[in-house]
Amino acid sequence: MINAKNSERNLQKSIPVRQAGRLGEGLEVALLLLPALLLLLVFTVWPTLNAFWLSFHRENLLGTERDWVGLSNYAEMLRDPAFWRAVGATFLFAAIVVPVQLVLGLLAALMVARPFPGVALFRTLFFLTTAVPTAVAAVAWGWYLHPIGGTLNRWLEAVGLPAQPWLTSPELALPTLAIVTAWAGVGFTAILLTAGLQQIPEDLYEAARMDGAGAWTQFWRITLPMLSPTLFLVALLTVLTSLTAFGQIHLLTRGGPMESTTVWIYRIYQDAFFNFRFSYAAAQSVALFLVLLLLAALQFRGLGRRVHYE
Amino acid sequence: MSSLPRWLARPLFYLLLGVYAWLLVLPLLSLLSASFRTEADLFTPGLLPPQPTLEAYREALAKHPILRYLLNSLVVSLAITLGVLLTSATLGYALARVRFAGQSLLFGFVVGLLLIPDEVTFLPRYLLVQELGWINSYWALIVPFLASPLGIFLMRQFIKSLPQDLFDAARIDGAGHLRTLWYVALPLAAPALGALGALSFLGAWNMYLWPLVVINQNEMKTAQIAIAQVQSVEVSSWNVVAAAAMLVLLPTLLAFLLAQRAFIRGIALGGLKG
Amino acid sequence: MLRLWLILAGIALGGLGLAQQRITIDFWHSMGGVLGEATEALVKDFNAAQNRVTVRSQFVGSYDDGLNKLRAALQAGGQGRPNVIQVYDIGARFMADSGAVLPLEDLARANNFDLSQFVPQPRNYYTVDGKLYGLAFNSSNPILYFNAQALEQAGIPYRNTWSLADLEAAARKLTIKDAAGKTTRYGLSIPIDSWFMEQFSYNSGQYFCNNENGRKARATEVTFNNPAAVAFLDTWARLVREGVAANTGRNWADSQSLFAQGQAAIAVYSTASLTGVLRQVGNRFPVRTAFYPYLRERNGTAIGGAAVYLIRGFSDEQNAASWEFIRFLLRPETQAKWIIGTGYFPVVKGVTELPSVRQAYVRQPNYTTAVRQLETSKVNTASAGCLMGGFTEIRQIVQSAIEEALRGKPAQQALDEAKQRADQVLARYNASVRQ
Repeated sequence: MINAKNSERNLQKSIPVRQAGRLGEGLEVALLLLPALLLLLVFTVWPTLNAFWLSFHRENLLGTERDWVGLSNYAEMLRDPAFWRAVGATFLFAAIVVPVQLVLGLLAALMVARPFPGVALFRTLFFLTTAVPTAVAAVAWGWYLHPIGGTLNRWLEAVGLPAQPWLTSPELALPTLAIVTAWAGVGFTAILLTAGLQQIPEDLYEAARMDGAGAWTQFWRITLPMLSPTLFLVALLTVLTSLTAFGQIHLLTRGGPMESTTVWIYRIYQDAFFNFRFSYAAAQSVALFLVLLLLAALQFRGLGRRVHYE
Repeated sequence: MSSLPRWLARPLFYLLLGVYAWLLVLPLLSLLSASFRTEADLFTPGLLPPQPTLEAYREALAKHPILRYLLNSLVVSLAITLGVLLTSATLGYALARVRFAGQSLLFGFVVGLLLIPDEVTFLPRYLLVQELGWINSYWALIVPFLASPLGIFLMRQFIKSLPQDLFDAARIDGAGHLRTLWYVALPLAAPALGALGALSFLGAWNMYLWPLVVINQNEMKTAQIAIAQVQSVEVSSWNVVAAAAMLVLLPTLLAFLLAQRAFIRGIALGGLKG
Repeated sequence: MLRLWLILAGIALGGLGLAQQRITIDFWHSMGGVLGEATEALVKDFNAAQNRVTVRSQFVGSYDDGLNKLRAALQAGGQGRPNVIQVYDIGARFMADSGAVLPLEDLARANNFDLSQFVPQPRNYYTVDGKLYGLAFNSSNPILYFNAQALEQAGIPYRNTWSLADLEAAARKLTIKDAAGKTTRYGLSIPIDSWFMEQFSYNSGQYFCNNENGRKARATEVTFNNPAAVAFLDTWARLVREGVAANTGRNWADSQSLFAQGQAAIAVYSTASLTGVLRQVGNRFPVRTAFYPYLRERNGTAIGGAAVYLIRGFSDEQNAASWEFIRFLLRPETQAKWIIGTGYFPVVKGVTELPSVRQAYVRQPNYTTAVRQLETSKVNTASAGCLMGGFTEIRQIVQSAIEEALRGKPAQQALDEAKQRADQVLARYNASVRQ
């Protein structure tokens, strides 16, 4: 990985030693630990705990006072059809994003994992969407799918198909947003899967070829099984990011039409910052937190394994 | 499939590549095309603008402080990147190379934090930032993200994988931890730092929900949320919106093209979380 | 002699004092783009016109952004709150309930400002529990937009007053379909926005919420399933299903593009959209505007837009400075400049008689539609507009109901169901106020 042996001596020589100015070991350790630790405690641990605390309260109109209400926010949440619609939309969204992004990402990775003339160009193009910020992706698609002048509808009409209300029909809006999301994430997936494909030893394929296996057989017998740990991680990662997708929804549909694109995180945002129900929003985010925690724990087990390989 | 003759397989392969790449960049191309149109030409069919003009860019830059938005994003992303590199290197080093009571407990704690998604803690964090009086300031955009559990975890793993004798030698020479970190661990960790840096930068640049809630003062907006702003002001002037979006896209696109390796490595390394 | 000296000394000291302490007040607004420029111009004029007060204006993003920012400041103990803030129409109940507002009426009375100078509708709209709270800063109305060329070709005479039935007939006549039955030009385009339902209720003499639009007592139930609203939604949905009316979703801009491209002959927007629509249409076709439609008899529309409020908790001196700014905004000359630059309409009487305004109206007669609509409106609790809390959330519910109806759910049923949800929101809001 790194040529450590060679650099060893040079490095040792280059360390200037000033015994007199040395800090005490205790102070040094404190300097190493404290900044990061403090930041984590204040900005990650405390808000997490506070989310729970908030969710047991209800605030007045201006949010200047809070009363303890126990579990009533949760009770209300479970009875709230809007909440369940949002949960349903969230999982439907993920159920479209994940397979689309994985299949397209895998297709891209399979095409550019091995070198061929021009591979650099196509890698750049296939990975390009990684560099496109969510907001730009949303605007680009907003225009691409524009009901009047949108390129896509123009082309559909040119081949005799009817123009579609991509973002304005309650049936199509969520799948459309899912495609936009998959598009924005496909470069990311392709990068990870390309890295995964490149780790598969070439001699496996050679052996298979000698046995007379075709490309199709090789893919099912070697590529897919060998890639499956990476694929699993990438899938989980895509699930996690798709469950918290926000920017594209905020820019393209604002949760509509008919609340069809009001996903969980968007509902939280709306309840907190438009409906001024901070505590209720906090209860919903605690629930989302628990779901994501479960998924992240799965992912982490995979991550632990993966790190051991390296 | 395997029976396709080579003279046919090659062109077919390139055709497939070309079609895929074309479909992938098409939305960006139609945005680019819109940005070079006048408002009157917006709905003229065809991918090429009938009379290409920079008018939309001029208007976007004149009516919206796009450069200020980009500067905000740059300041925030750079500060977060530097902070993450620093805190990840220090705590990562301590967890890998310093012996102290409760070390494994602390490592477990950091690993546990990896599981907490930012999106879920944004409400209470918003209240905290509000109480600190940081709404509409760089502080709100930067400070909460200066320490990243993922960065710490990755640096700890990386430093741990370096040969122990390097550190022993430094110790014998009388170097303290800070010196060892600076002169031994960090130079060797340069590729990992570069990758982590690229990943942090991209993540910070793309932040949307957080700036949206902590910033409601125009000149403090980051480029991402400024796009929503431009869109709501320009309403139907899609050419101006498109020009603004292209201007926001340009820096990341250039950074990606120039530092593709670091980005790809960063994603491959850190993409295992998000 | 001594007296003279004292006076001179007083003037000198006073002058010194003024030079030293020009009072600064903060003004948060949500006017972006062209409107933002016009707002900043007013502030600049004010700062230049006198030397006692400096207004520091700040564009805070959308109205919701502004409200959130205000809440954040108030939650942090009031630190950093503005002296004056612009809040949208439907925030009127919230602002009054918040207890954070210094009612404009108190200041006006203390300063002997004659409240009857106000145009009645804007005054009524922002009067809560008998007291005027905010100054209608930017007021607008919904109006009809016609493609005059299409109208002429179809042989439909222009009128400025339209019943729903007349509008439907015209829209049908203006619709063009190709051989395959696909619409190539829609007769009508209405963006999906609760506001148009609200205004149709008012203009037909109906209430959107109970207790006479929340004007006699606090509203406890919505009444947006009233006969007028149901008829409006039913017609709208029928026309959409028959390909006579376009459904471009909630985004006004998409509907405007359709109209400007000549693909919809009639459209419904705000008076404040006029400048943008005219610019977008360019010289493709002449545009004419008319009053908002009604069911049986025209009552009058309520105003939309936003008001500016004074926030409590500042010294008398600061409040006096804020009042001076408000007073400036109310001057006919200021109003004239504002309405010519924006397409909003004046909120004090006598502005339309000013020469500059009359010239502007002659140049672009479409601008007079809003003013004439207002002048010919009945002044009652229906046209005062519904005053209730949780309006932001309730609008979302109404919009979902519209979307359901456009897809085929009977209008009555969609609105009845939406009422159930909206009533819960309202009840919760009212409970949070009494807390």
